[in-house]
This record gives sequence, C-alpha cells and structure tokens, in this order.
Amino acid sequence: MARLRITGLYKSYDSVQAVRGVDLDIPEGEFAVLVGPSGCGKSTMLRTIAGLEEPDAGTIEIDGEIVNDLPPRSRDVAMVFQNYALYPYMKVFDNIAFGLRARKFPAGEIKERVLAAAATLNISGLLDRLPRQLSGGERQRVAIGRAIVRDARLFLFDEPLSNLDAQLREEMRLEIKELHQRLGKTMIYVTHDQIEARTLADRVVLLNNGRIEQEGAPLDLFERPVNRFVAGFLGSPSMNFIPARLVAADESLAVTFEDGTALAVPAAAYERLAGRSGHDVIFGVRTEHISRARDGDTREGLAPLSATIDVVQPTGSRTYVTFRLSGTPVMAELRAHDVEHPGQRIELDVDMNRAILIDPETDLVL
Amino acid sequence: MTGETRADAVYVPKDWWLRRRTWTYVGRYAAAIVITLLFLFPVYWIFIMAFKTPEEVFASPPIWYPAQIQFKTFAVLFRDGDVGTIGNSLITAGVSTVLAMFFGTIAAYSLARFRTGGENLAIWIISQRMIPPIVIIFPVFLVYVFFGWVDTFQGLILLYTAFNLPYVTWMMRGYIEDIPIELEQSALVDGWSRWQVLLRVVFPMARAGLFATAVFTFIFAWNDFIFALVLTRVEITTYPVQVTSFFGQQQTFWAKIGAMSILGTLPIFFAVALFQRYLVRGISLGAIKG
Amino acid sequence: MTVSTKIAAGLFGKRVDAFTDRNFKYLLIAPAIFILLLIGIFPLINLVVASFQDITILGEDKSFQGLLNYKRLFSDARMWESLLHTVLFMAVALPIELLLGTVMALLLLEKMWGRQIFIALLIIPTVIAPIVAGATWRLMFDNRFGPINQVLGWFKGEPVNIVWIVNSSYVWAAILATEVWQWTPFMFLILLAGFSNVDRTQVEAAQIDGASNLRIFFKIVIPAIRPVLAIALLIRALDLFRLFDIVWALTRGGPGTMTETISTFTYVKGFEQFDTSYTSAVAIVVVVLLSIAVIFALRRVEIAR
Repeated sequence: MARLRITGLYKSYDSVQAVRGVDLDIPEGEFAVLVGPSGCGKSTMLRTIAGLEEPDAGTIEIDGEIVNDLPPRSRDVAMVFQNYALYPYMKVFDNIAFGLRARKFPAGEIKERVLAAAATLNISGLLDRLPRQLSGGERQRVAIGRAIVRDARLFLFDEPLSNLDAQLREEMRLEIKELHQRLGKTMIYVTHDQIEARTLADRVVLLNNGRIEQEGAPLDLFERPVNRFVAGFLGSPSMNFIPARLVAADESLAVTFEDGTALAVPAAAYERLAGRSGHDVIFGVRTEHISRARDGDTREGLAPLSATIDVVQPTGSRTYVTFRLSGTPVMAELRAHDVEHPGQRIELDVDMNRAILIDPETDLVL
Repeated sequence: MTGETRADAVYVPKDWWLRRRTWTYVGRYAAAIVITLLFLFPVYWIFIMAFKTPEEVFASPPIWYPAQIQFKTFAVLFRDGDVGTIGNSLITAGVSTVLAMFFGTIAAYSLARFRTGGENLAIWIISQRMIPPIVIIFPVFLVYVFFGWVDTFQGLILLYTAFNLPYVTWMMRGYIEDIPIELEQSALVDGWSRWQVLLRVVFPMARAGLFATAVFTFIFAWNDFIFALVLTRVEITTYPVQVTSFFGQQQTFWAKIGAMSILGTLPIFFAVALFQRYLVRGISLGAIKG
Repeated sequence: MTVSTKIAAGLFGKRVDAFTDRNFKYLLIAPAIFILLLIGIFPLINLVVASFQDITILGEDKSFQGLLNYKRLFSDARMWESLLHTVLFMAVALPIELLLGTVMALLLLEKMWGRQIFIALLIIPTVIAPIVAGATWRLMFDNRFGPINQVLGWFKGEPVNIVWIVNSSYVWAAILATEVWQWTPFMFLILLAGFSNVDRTQVEAAQIDGASNLRIFFKIVIPAIRPVLAIALLIRALDLFRLFDIVWALTRGGPGTMTETISTFTYVKGFEQFDTSYTSAVAIVVVVLLSIAVIFALRRVEIAR
C-alpha cells in the first residue's frame, strides 16, 4: 500500500506536450481514475509513474521516496495493459508467475500465490491453457491476475476494459471494484470512458490537454463542474450548451435566448448571479433535467418551455428527443411514452436548480 | 404473382465443360505447367549429370536421362575429399550466421525500440549492403594480406558477418517492431532487467522472424562466390569455389559439378521450403510483410 | 540480471543499475557499428591512400602520386566499356524480368489446384548459388553436350552447332538467358505478393463501375503496388550492377573483354594483374558513381510516392 505524490510533472514527445504541469496526491488505498479524451496525457502519466517514460520535469514520489531515477523493476508497481500483454508462448500459469520469477520467489511460494490469485479471479481451470485459447474476458482476468499475484504497493491500470464488449465490460468493472475493496491497495486507473470513471473511482481526475481540469469525488464533479469542459465531458448523453444572455427584470433574473424564450433563474441563485445581468452566458443543462411538464408539479425552480420535437429516439425505459432552442439542437431525456412522433409540440419543464451558467470568455462555471 | 414471371426467366447453367471459366482455367493450368517445367529443366539437367556414366555425360547429342542411376561420382567426391568443402561452407556460413544474427538482432532492438541514431543510422546500416561486393573485397583483401588472414576461417567468417549484419539488422528491426511493446513493458514492470526482457520476451516473440532471417543470412553466405574466391586458397575452400575448380582447361567434370550442386543445393531447398511463408518478406528486405 | 550487472549492482548499488538501463541502447548497437566500421572504414581509408600511390605488381611506390591513377582510369576504354556493359545489360535484363515476372504472377494469382506447389517449384532457381546457375547454363549452352543446340536442331531439322559462349553474336544472349532464368522467379514472387495485397474492394468497385480489365490493371493495380515495385526494381538493379558470378562461370568476361562487367574487370585488375593502386581508384569511382545513382533513384521513388 502506498501513497502516490506527483509534483510539477511535465512530459513532451518531440513537439507534442503530453503532460504540462500536473500535481497530484493520491492517499493510501484510494482508487483514483485518470480520465479524459484521447491525447489528454493520462496514459503518459501512468507510464511515467511505472517508469516506462522519463519525465522532463517534476517528481514522482511513492511512499515519500522519489522514484524518478529508478528503473521500472525497482519501483514495485504492477500494471495491467490495455491489450493485456500476455505472452502468447507461455501458459496461463507461467504468465501469472512471470513477475514472481523475476523477483526470485521460491517455486513453492510461486505455485501457492498463482493458485490463490487464480482462485480469486475464477480462472483456476485455465492455468494450463495458452492465451490464444482464452476468450477476451478470460485474458483480461489473467492480466489482472498477473498484477495482483505480486502484491505490489501500487496498481496501475491502462484502459484495461476497452477491448471488451459492453456486457463483459460491466461485469469486469464490478469485479475490479470488488478487488479494490478486498485488497485495499492504491490503484491508479486510466480510461477514456467517463462512465467507468464515475462508477469505479473514489477520486476522479479529469485531464485535458495535459492538465488537470478538476479532481474530486465522482458525484462532486458531476454535480459541481468547475468549467465547461468538465460539465460537457461527464454525463451521457452530454450536457446541452446553448448561448444565452442573463437579463434582470424587477427583482428576478432570467436566462433569455435570441429567439426571445426566457427561463427564470431560481431565487436561490439570485445573489450569486446578479452582478452578471446584461452579460452573455452559455446555458448548460443535462438531458435528464428537462422533463415533460405535468400538472400539479410545483417544485421550486422549474421553468416552462414549449418545443417542437424534431427527432425521437426511444431506448425502452427512456426516450430521447431532440428539439431546437433558439436554433441550437437540444436533447432531453423523457419518459418512455411522453412523446409519440416527431413534429409534436409539447410543454417541457427545465430544472433550473441543476442547470449551470458558463462565462463564454473564460469557460468557467458561474 | 411474381412467381410466374420468375419461372420464365430461370437461368439454366451450361454444362461445366461448356463454360468459359472452365477453359480459362485449363489454359492457365497448362501455361503454369509449361512454365514450371521450363524453369526446372536446367536444374534437372545439372543434377542428372551426377548419376550418369562418363560416356553418358559426354554423349553428343546429349542423353536426357541415364540408362541406370549410379552413384560413382559421389563416391569419388568423398574419396578425393571434395566433400570437405561442404564442411568448410557449413563452418563459415554457420558461424557467421550465428554472429550476424546475434549482433544484428540486438542492434535492431536498439533501433526499433529506442530509435537510436534516428532514421539516419538505420539507413546508413542498410546502405552498407548496397555496396558491390567487389568493392568491399578488394580493400579487405589488402588488409587481410597484411594481417595474414587470407585463407583462414576467422577472416572469411568476419567478412560474412559484417556483410550480413546490415541485412539482419534491417529485417529484425521490422520483426521487432511487429511485437506489441506492452509485452516488454509489462516484463520491465514485473521486475525483469533489460537483458532478461530481450532473452525472455523479445527473442521468443521474434522466434519465427529470427529463424527466417537466419535462413536467408545463411544462404547468402553459403551461396557467396566472390568473397570466397578471393579469400580462400587451400585450407578453407568453400563449396561454390570448389564447383568452379571442376572447370578444366581440357575438359569440364560435369558429373562432379552435378554431384556437388546436389550436395550444396538440396539443404537450401529444404530450408527455404520450411520457411516459404517468410520468403517474400526476406527477399524484399521487409518491404512486403506477406 | 546478468552476472556482470549483478556484481556491479552489488558493488555500487542502484546507481550502476540505472546506468546500464540508460546506456542499454548504445551497448546493444555498439558491436554492430564496430564490426561495420572495421570492415568498412579501415579498409576504405587504406583504399583511398593506395589510390594516390603507385603500387603495381612490378613495385611499390608509396609516395604521393596525385591523380595519376584517376587520370589513367579516365582514359581506360576497357574500364568504361565494362561499365557500359553492366549498365546496358541491366537496362535489357530488368524489363524482361519484370515483364515475365508480371505474366507469371498474374497466371498464378487466382486459386488453382496445386498453386502452392507451382510457386514453391518456381522459386528454386532463385535460391541456387549464382555460380551453380552459371555452371548449369554453361552446360545447357555447351555446343556438343548441351540440350539447347539439340532442341534447336529438332526445330531446324538439321544439326545446330552454335558455340554460344565463344561466338560474339550469341554470348550476351547466353548470359541474359541465365540471368533471366535465375531472377525472374524473384520478380514473380514479389509481384505475386504485391498483387495479392491489392485491396480487392477497389478492384470490385471498378468492375461494378464497368471498367475494363486492362484499365483496372493499369489504373488501380499498378499504382497500388508501386512501392513494392520500386523496392523490387531497386534490389534487382543493385544486384545486376554487381553482376559477377554468372559471367565468371559462363565466360570469365570473354571472348576477349567482350562480356566484362565492372565487377569482373575490377577482379582481373586487382587479383590477377595485382594493379593495386589502379584498382583502388576504380573501386572508389565505382562507389561514387553508384552512390549518385542510388541517391537519384531514391529521390525518384520518394517523389513518386
């Protein structure tokens, strides 16, 4: 178990700045997920922690020891790779035992540990097979087995589930989370999949362009994004952004759009936003916070909106609809039978408590 | 209701022997057989010499096949020690292949995984192979005379090693680049040293490429004539040089040439047949991965 | 860990460990570069030095002679003729091999029973030692014991007695036949692989668009295999430039100097006449000319891409 601390990390390849100035402190036993779009520097960070890349600047500390100058083998970390990195010419047993052999464990203990790891991952029956005789999910388990068998102080996962199909991915996600709860090890997990990040992490670290945009508990990031990037990246389907203007009228504020539509800002936010009145803003709202208006729904902060539906996408339990608000396509997540067909005109409620306003110049959430 | 119209338009296939496809196929097949026979005939002709009696060898007009297969020529080659040149070829080609494979492969690893010296170094190395052998052998000969290395195994082996190094480096660089780098990284994280990773991951992963490249490297050295012509006298005469020794002023010993060709060529046929899958990649300097 | 790094690590701790890791890449490539320099650079220096001296079979004058050998070289008709032979032969042999190789590749491109066997058999000439190929064809062309005159006689209806490798009208044809026989399979094999790798959907799309087979071949297939073609031609051109073994086995450059190539010429000067300084100058000029040609060729290939 170990605490990981990264300070002032920079790394570039040729002319591409992969990581530019990252500070990160992961306490012992935490499950941290580095997430971001491709090219955001998350994999580079992981590889720098493993010692597979040398940073241009900055330090990496594991348990208070600066490991910058240590080759990977001396860092005592375990890593699971995206393509599993199983040795095709070795049986599953030897694949799992490979790291133990490098560290010169006695044969008896190797066997004991491999069997235990295999039992944990339900692959005891596969130990005599070659990797090519395994399914994708089984290979994934072997790769994880190879990491846990060594009992390293730090576990690194580099997009381990991205080669699996959707159903298997969900299964393995659950198992990895269970594994973390059982082992209690510090784990750093890289993914581009924001759902994986939200479901697995104690702490989500959202990266973009080699910098940390925001870090914190998953729900924190989801509910209180600090900027437009974070708001747009988390959530599926992603948040709607519509250019608007904040207008003061009497003792209240409203978000008004170019076509004249206005949505009232709830009283609770009045204080915070009053200074902004008269300025351009970007109005952000998640699909699930737009619902069909229902009689008798008198919750605070619901703003009415009428819309003509352009596209209807039923998924079964929910139905996604698209309409235009002031020329911008907006998606909303309604109940299954709220809308019958495209072209229908319906009344909607926008939950203004959950909506955000963004400064178009700084992209920061107001 | 569309059933009726469809029934009217039912397509009745012709009998197979009336189809154009059949005749194209037969034509292609005949052409392939003729061409293959044309290309194989000279090989047959030189090989069959080994089994003819002297009268049959020197019959004019020539006889196309011996009345009776006989092995006397081979016996003569063994008796006179000519077969020893095959042994010399085995030693020089074998040892130089092992050396070139080892040094070339580790150099290739450096080029493939660390981009040592950039693309320029890799191109410089392969360009060494483009120099005509006669231009290499002349200055090397002068140096070897100075060191007394002419007609020695070490001299010829060193030259073959150096001559084949660029090829091995170039080919193995391609094969190593085909290995997913994560396998090596995983081993490094697991606790293996750089050398151990080479030994336990890279070499086994590149196994097929290693064998294929070794086969071609061996053939280059085995088939070489010009280096051996200059650098061998008596002690280490290799088999191609020995073949030319049967060209006499008065007469040429075709039976012996045939027998030596069989001894020197058959092993190569087997090696190539075994690695036919890698042949195209091997002879195209990796341009086609096949 | 190897024994040496283990001991070093024991003595100096982790610092040496990190050192080997960091210098690993140089450690790996050093022996190869050393061997190449040993066989490449030192003899080359020797060669350049010798080319400015006057070392012949008659005596060794190691004083600086300036451009003596280079002047001699420029007025040596025999040397330029041998170079011309080499280049002309290349210009004739290369297109023939390319054409024949293409025809054979197209013939065997599609499935047929025993296709792999045909391919395996057709490869055989290419893997035979060139000197053996030369010997083989010397026998094939022998005016009395060879089958070629015999077969020609069948067609003509009377005995044919062409002395192929002595008669100046036929000697180049004999060398050409040998060369084409040995190396057409090389072209065939590479082109076959090139053709098989052409994206079938492109061809099918063109067929649906109604393009003729000939048009598809020149407009889609040929451009697609262009890089492969360039490499194959480059390899073969370099091989043809060093042409030695086949000529040596068939004619040794004769009759007279009629079939001398630059390689056989250099061999005769250096190793039979021991005209050391002069041969050094020839070798240097050959390398310079070849380098210019190769650089030019590579440029062309790159632009074509």
